[in-house]
Amino acid sequence: MRTRRWTPYAYLLPTLAFLGVVFGYAVVAVVLESFRVPGLLGVMHWGRENYHGIFHDPLFWQSLRDNLKLFLVIPAMTVVGLVVAVLLFERIKGWRIYRSLAFLPYILAVPIVGVVFSYILERNGVLNQMLDTLHLHFLVHDWLGNPDLALWSIAVIIAWQQTGLAIVLFLARLASVDEQLYEAALTDGANWFQRFWHITMPQLARVIEFFVTISLINMLSWVFSYVYVMTGGGPQQKSYVTELYIYQNAFRNGLSNLASAASVILLLVATAVLFVQAVTRKAVDRIEV
Amino acid sequence: MRTVAGEYKELSRRGFLQMSGLAGVAAVAAPLLASCSSSGGGSQNGQVELLVWYWGEQEAPGMKKFMQQAVAKYNSSQSKVKVTAVLQSSDSLYSAFAAAAQAGKGPDIQYLWGGTQALGDVWLGYCSPLSDYVDSAWLKDNIPQATLAETNWGGKQWGMPFYQIGTAFPYNKKMFADAGLNAEEPPVTWDAYLTALSKLKKAGVTPIGAGFKDQYLGGWLASYFGQQNFNSVDDSIAPFRGSVKYEGPMYTEWIERVQDLVTAGFFNDDIQSINLYQGQDLFTARKAAIVTSVQPQITSFYRTMGGADTVGVMRSPAFGTGRFANSFGAPAQVLLLTKFSEHKEEAAAFLKFLHTPEMMQLMYRESGAICPDTKFEASWLDTETDKTMWNWQKTLPNFWYQYYYPLPFETNGVDPGLQQLWQSGATVDSAISTMQGAISKWGDQSPAQLDAYKTWKPLEH
Repeated sequence: MRTRRWTPYAYLLPTLAFLGVVFGYAVVAVVLESFRVPGLLGVMHWGRENYHGIFHDPLFWQSLRDNLKLFLVIPAMTVVGLVVAVLLFERIKGWRIYRSLAFLPYILAVPIVGVVFSYILERNGVLNQMLDTLHLHFLVHDWLGNPDLALWSIAVIIAWQQTGLAIVLFLARLASVDEQLYEAALTDGANWFQRFWHITMPQLARVIEFFVTISLINMLSWVFSYVYVMTGGGPQQKSYVTELYIYQNAFRNGLSNLASAASVILLLVATAVLFVQAVTRKAVDRIEV
Repeated sequence: MRTVAGEYKELSRRGFLQMSGLAGVAAVAAPLLASCSSSGGGSQNGQVELLVWYWGEQEAPGMKKFMQQAVAKYNSSQSKVKVTAVLQSSDSLYSAFAAAAQAGKGPDIQYLWGGTQALGDVWLGYCSPLSDYVDSAWLKDNIPQATLAETNWGGKQWGMPFYQIGTAFPYNKKMFADAGLNAEEPPVTWDAYLTALSKLKKAGVTPIGAGFKDQYLGGWLASYFGQQNFNSVDDSIAPFRGSVKYEGPMYTEWIERVQDLVTAGFFNDDIQSINLYQGQDLFTARKAAIVTSVQPQITSFYRTMGGADTVGVMRSPAFGTGRFANSFGAPAQVLLLTKFSEHKEEAAAFLKFLHTPEMMQLMYRESGAICPDTKFEASWLDTETDKTMWNWQKTLPNFWYQYYYPLPFETNGVDPGLQQLWQSGATVDSAISTMQGAISKWGDQSPAQLDAYKTWKPLEH
């Protein structure tokens, strides 16, 4: 059957139009806004001043660094997720209950998690009261009120919630691995670790890569709710992520065009991370071939 | 595809393409058509519809009830205008209005926190001058000059004062008495204040309850203490137009005084990990002797904690030498006419209606909030704390620093600067440096606001 050259594009048109309106328009609008500089009483001109203002703002660089610091919890989330998934896959006693419990944090709303953990981690909160009761006074800290600890306290809560996703993803992939691979390895006399290293890990490689990639994106552009609810970026702006920088400038400082410029930079950073991941993946594929 | 007869027929490729094309056009056209529609207010059947976005329930419980009754009364008193008032949440108050203003459609009347927090939106071109629609004689006759000054810029009046938030320290008289203090005569000087706080601490009470996690406390402290060496409104804005540096005792002595309070341990130990409202809750839980608060909330404390036997009110103790050292801050939250409203005359008339004696009385009765209006009568007040604050307002300068500095000075300077004082080894100099850095950054990032400050000739009072 003959097909006109433009026919496939016609089929794609509705989806492309939808994406264009929902995402494309928004991105173009933000980019344009980022180059508009407000003058008095709504008079606007075009220029690069917003970008200049951001690049010379130490708080922006610090907030970006804080995002990057959150990257450090991704290996921990991945390893814990992997260990728990493998244990559950081994059908340990009560594994069905453990599976549900492990995933439970992930389905909770982030603001609720933030509020609950704020109460737990306050200076006179549940955690410190418990430590006091156990005479572990040396462990009592102002988890959210100490500028050296605030960001890491948030990071632990993010890891606690997001690891549930890792467990479910890894477990789903493990369930689809061909049983014959394990049976053959057992016949060949492979021990548990050898089976894990030579069968489980290679089979999980793609899904681990997927989890790490979305976690990187999340740590860059999806941690606002945690930070806003738990510390508000403080104390002393020491837990100030880029999203909060955008929010504060847009809605508290009245600098929406500067916030647009910061949004564009964040989008570029996230795109760069995806690009690096894609290039790495291609290189790995080439080596495997 | 189901036909009219209810039978199925196969979808042809041509049909599919036609549907796809229609869907594509609809997807593109829908938002365009939506953007062409009119704003929230408008006219229907000859009746003007006014949309009001307001806030206030959070700091003056009962404000929603008042607004509902006021709107019902206004709507039933005439047939030409129909007002709809929508209460906003704290988090969406500014973001929703910013989005509406940028889209050019939204409320006819917008509530904003007063002073520069409202002028910020004026400078962005989101509002219309109130004085273009309300007679200046009416404004002068009804609104105190100090209140007008907060949103007066460029020779125009922009905000209509809605209710004022007299700022003071409620204190627990029983705790004062138990600590050996005269509960009827709270300290008015800095030395007496420090002595009182020491006695309270010695008695096992947290002297000052506060929360700084959400970073709203900085603005309060900067205003209670940071304005005490100013002799005029102009002094307060001079560093922001670049004519003087934010340095020297006039501008920075207050930070040393705050450090005195911090190092003496007069605040609750969890101040950095709880929010402002949690800090204020320490007062109602009887865990702190003094808190920072505002008049409607103090009235609420008074009415729920045992009246004059338990709750007293004190001003910020004086250490400064300026005209505003002995002052009382009663800043006003404001309602503004939006630039895109099609019915500004009608909106201005509704704003004047809120200043009628009947409405002012109703507002006070329902929410405990006082409308800043010369026609407000002292005889309407029903708590001792309100009467005390009313007396201060009549006899002392009314000034609140927070309403004159640009907000980024607070968010990027005052808040992080003051929070440093709770760190061991922190110095006043580093806090000052943070605040100076915030002014410099604000000037770089907000040239339009800098221009606004350079041309600002504030109303002195």
